[in-house]
Amino acid sequence: MYLQKTLAKSPRWEAGTELVELFTGLFLLGFLQFHLFAVSSIILGQETFNRDSQFLDEYYISYIGIPLVILAILVHGLAAMRKAPWRVEEMRIFLQHSRRLQHLDTWAWLAQILTGLGVLVLSAIHIWSTLSTWPIEAAKSALRVQSGHFSLLLALLVLAEIHAMLGLYRILVKWSWVHRQKFTKYLVYATLGLVALGFVALVVFYFTSVKV
Amino acid sequence: MAERLLTFSIFRYNPATPEIAPRMQEFQLDETPNMTLFIALNRLREEQDPSLMFDFVCRAAVCGSCGMLINGRPGLACKTLTQDLPDRITLMPLPVFKLVGDLSVDTGVWFRQLNENLEAWIHTDKEFDPKSPEERMDNALAQEIYEAERCIECGSCIAACATANMRADFVGAAGLNRIARFLIDPRDERSPQQVFEVVGTDEGVFGCIGLMACDDICPMEIPLQQQLALVRRKMAWAGLKGK
Ligand code: HEM
Ligand code: SF4
Ligand code: FES
Repeated sequence: MYLQKTLAKSPRWEAGTELVELFTGLFLLGFLQFHLFAVSSIILGQETFNRDSQFLDEYYISYIGIPLVILAILVHGLAAMRKAPWRVEEMRIFLQHSRRLQHLDTWAWLAQILTGLGVLVLSAIHIWSTLSTWPIEAAKSALRVQSGHFSLLLALLVLAEIHAMLGLYRILVKWSWVHRQKFTKYLVYATLGLVALGFVALVVFYFTSVKV
Repeated sequence: MAERLLTFSIFRYNPATPEIAPRMQEFQLDETPNMTLFIALNRLREEQDPSLMFDFVCRAAVCGSCGMLINGRPGLACKTLTQDLPDRITLMPLPVFKLVGDLSVDTGVWFRQLNENLEAWIHTDKEFDPKSPEERMDNALAQEIYEAERCIECGSCIAACATANMRADFVGAAGLNRIARFLIDPRDERSPQQVFEVVGTDEGVFGCIGLMACDDICPMEIPLQQQLALVRRKMAWAGLKGK
């Protein structure tokens, strides 16, 4: 028995953190797809896009949603990264182990950590720049895409979708009773489809004429 | 089949002679038909280096003592045919377990500790009456329990797990599979809440991040993904319900 461990050990807290990771992950997953479809309304024209944006604004969905998403990203990041190899020794063990093993799912976790960190940085820039030209309008977004943000947003799209789909995969592996061979390919198709949709939306923004 | 000359690169270290640093040593051996790593290693020891240390008991995938890293992946050496491997074969001892020397590790102490921590035995208040007939059990349930019982404690799943490699106190797939066995056994009177106190932790099921190397590698092909998920669901539920 070790005093400090016996006093600090709390299965309830440890299980709770896992559930926080799970539910913030699911919430962000839902948000990301919702956001993708909302943005993709630009494909149908500037009016559709502006109508959607005004709708979210009018019913205060943006004003509740955006702070919630920011909070969820922070809480999720902290909860999920608790398992990451933080110490130098752990990092070296993890990398040497992965290289020896050559096992796809083990590499996928590294990809999830790296894409998560990428999303953290890029989404901060993205949220900042969007809020600083509030409210959201098609012309302003198009201008942003055309004045240098295209590659940043493309990178964010790809990283976030890969991260989210790896996350969904992880959730199904960890919690469901279905063997992963049964669903892996559908998740790959979904990722490709969603990235393609986002890419088309970005291209449309790029060629949307902006009257200044 | 043309005869191949196999090159073995084998991890060498003897804790009794710490002045000699760990190193990889190369050996060459001609391949014979249906040669297993068990045969190859015994020939190497007999013909080339009598000091080579490794473990085998049953040589038939039953005892679990011959687990080692074969070209980086954990597996049973007695079950592995050289014909399924390339010309160059790297052999290393399993990580996570204490090294006895060269390819030999001590899985016994680790598993004993695990079973003691998890109290991996039936907990019951019933008096055992040796004269009464055995209680009946539904066949499907007996099969399910047997599925988990097939574990031979070879340690491959532990060695394949990045979390177990990084965090010494993680129970790993073998431990969680063991707990799954007791969770579904009606003779064990422990409630899920009681099990939760031991397994609902970061050293237990919530330390698992779903890397699934265990599931891909288990030589007994125990469905570890499903076993682990079962424990996770039961433990999350027990935690939410409270006492
Ligand atoms: C668009 C935003 C994000 C979405 C949709 C998302 C989604 C998810 C989902 C669904 C999971 C699986 C949860 C689980 O296994 O319980 C997950 C896991 C993970 N997330 Fe995120 N996430 C996002 C942002 C982030 C950020 C900003 C970070 C890090 C700074 C991060 C780091 C991680 C890590 C390391 C894991 C793996 C956790 C583990 O090992 O179990 N995520 N994510
Ligand atoms: S679960 Fe499979 S890999 Fe793990 S110790 Fe048991 S038999 Fe070996
Ligand atoms: S020697 Fe018994 S499992 Fe290989």
